[in-house]
Amino acid sequence: MGKPIGGKIMTAKEAVESLVFDGATVGMGGQSIGRCSMALAHEIVRQGKKDLTLVGCNLALSTDIMVGAGLVKRTECGTGNLERFGTAFRWREAAEQGRLEVDDYSHLAMASRFLAGSLGLPFMPTKSMLGSDLLNKKSFDGVKPFEMLDNPWNPGEPVVLLPACTPDVSIVHVQKADEMGNVIIEGFTTHEPEMIKASKSVIVSCEEIVSSDEVRRNPDRTTVPYIFVDAVVEQPWGAYPTSTYRYYEHDADHLSRYQAVARSGGEAYEEYLQESIYGCETFADHLEKVTSTERLDELRRSMHRLL
Amino acid sequence: MTEYALDELMVVEASRHIEDGNIVMVGTGLPMVASLFALKSHAPNMCYVVETGPVAPEVIPTPTSVSDPRVMYRAVRFGSLLDALGGVLQRGLADVAFLGGAQIDQFANVNSTVIGDYDRPKVRFPGSGGANDLASHAKKILIITRHEKRRFPERCDFITSPGYIDGPQGRKNAGLPQPYPDISVITDLTVMSIDKSKGRLRVDKLMPGVSLDQVRENTLFEPLVAPEVVTVDPPTRAELRILRDEVDPDGTYLKGRE
Repeated sequence: MGKPIGGKIMTAKEAVESLVFDGATVGMGGQSIGRCSMALAHEIVRQGKKDLTLVGCNLALSTDIMVGAGLVKRTECGTGNLERFGTAFRWREAAEQGRLEVDDYSHLAMASRFLAGSLGLPFMPTKSMLGSDLLNKKSFDGVKPFEMLDNPWNPGEPVVLLPACTPDVSIVHVQKADEMGNVIIEGFTTHEPEMIKASKSVIVSCEEIVSSDEVRRNPDRTTVPYIFVDAVVEQPWGAYPTSTYRYYEHDADHLSRYQAVARSGGEAYEEYLQESIYGCETFADHLEKVTSTERLDELRRSMHRLL
Repeated sequence: MTEYALDELMVVEASRHIEDGNIVMVGTGLPMVASLFALKSHAPNMCYVVETGPVAPEVIPTPTSVSDPRVMYRAVRFGSLLDALGGVLQRGLADVAFLGGAQIDQFANVNSTVIGDYDRPKVRFPGSGGANDLASHAKKILIITRHEKRRFPERCDFITSPGYIDGPQGRKNAGLPQPYPDISVITDLTVMSIDKSKGRLRVDKLMPGVSLDQVRENTLFEPLVAPEVVTVDPPTRAELRILRDEVDPDGTYLKGRE
């Protein structure tokens, strides 16, 4: 049975309280500096959900903050970077100091693992990762990281089998959703459709709530139907300072400021967390503290010029 | 003589490896500059595919991310990462892909994961991203990098993206799909390409004014040398105009030019 119709609109606080738990495997939406699930990540940090395993493709800013807050035990991903803005520095330092288990995959490998999960299959084959040290993996929690198969239809041809990835809960920021929980992603969708469908539960934050009637009139626009989704949080600017296609560009100034404190770590970073996450009750408080209406308008106009 | 910066020389040379009509998997940085330059000069029918999903965008200069709306402009489709890296790349349709990394060894293996021990690395880099997939499946691999000695060890500390692994049979033994790729490394000193019969990098070209000894002095492995090493043509005035006016007008990536 899928998820019920309706009753899904709630605050970030309510959604995280009811669906994210200590020790959970959390599917991370967004890619690089686009559509990171910032509002939901902040809420997880405020509630101090710990011993998390974060899974995704390019684990960028939202992951860095959760690692920086000391909540993450392991990451399984393709990369940890913010492109032009540099590495995910808190993630990198934790990996270098052995405080974080890092399980490396290629992006296609992670997407294939989510695909397996989304199809209810135990594993998915790939021809990536062959001949690389990405296959020199150790196992975590006794789970075999991969298996080699001799292609039954072409004996002698090796194929890599990867275990399905089925997050306990995924957090994703999207453009639109309705009260049923139907999800509309505009622009690139990266690994999210497969990850959402592979997850046991899903929290979606969105720029706008649209009517279910509008969804039913344009069903070709629905990226993921409501049967996969548990909670819908209306959160304009919920990916800030990363971008949301058709809504706003990333805020290069804020990203640079974050990267500077993330790189130095220590007290400067603690202050950032205190000031801009722990010291805020909601994401709206955070926005008020770290940016201005003028700046947000500028980012919105800047995006509109590029459409 | 026309003045140009080394990065301009590198991206123009890299772009010459792209043919019109090619499907090119592109990220950001200098590879994006080289691809966009090809699209705006000799390869107007090139199909630009971004790993996050967009297919054949018209690309507004100058994108800074694979999630940038500039790489989605007038795309024919917004797909997913699975569409791009699975349905195009692993499917065998990508003609050209770009890689970058901290180390490139004599077999053209690339490391973008760790220096030192994997479990307790001396330096942790961002990791594969789509790079391993690109190196596994594209027909031609291009690497643009500054030529620094420490970047060119005999063996990578960690093979993130396979070149020819350990020699001519490396990819075959690993079971990587055919056809095995052409690989070229474009630096500010040289263009080295894979000699498939030996599975090792070979100096094919030198940048203007550079000697073979300079390449050897700045490379920790001993590269093969082509029987006839040619000099790379410097960018023409017309090429530089396209590059500076149409591809990177704000100098986002190409800094320090005259």
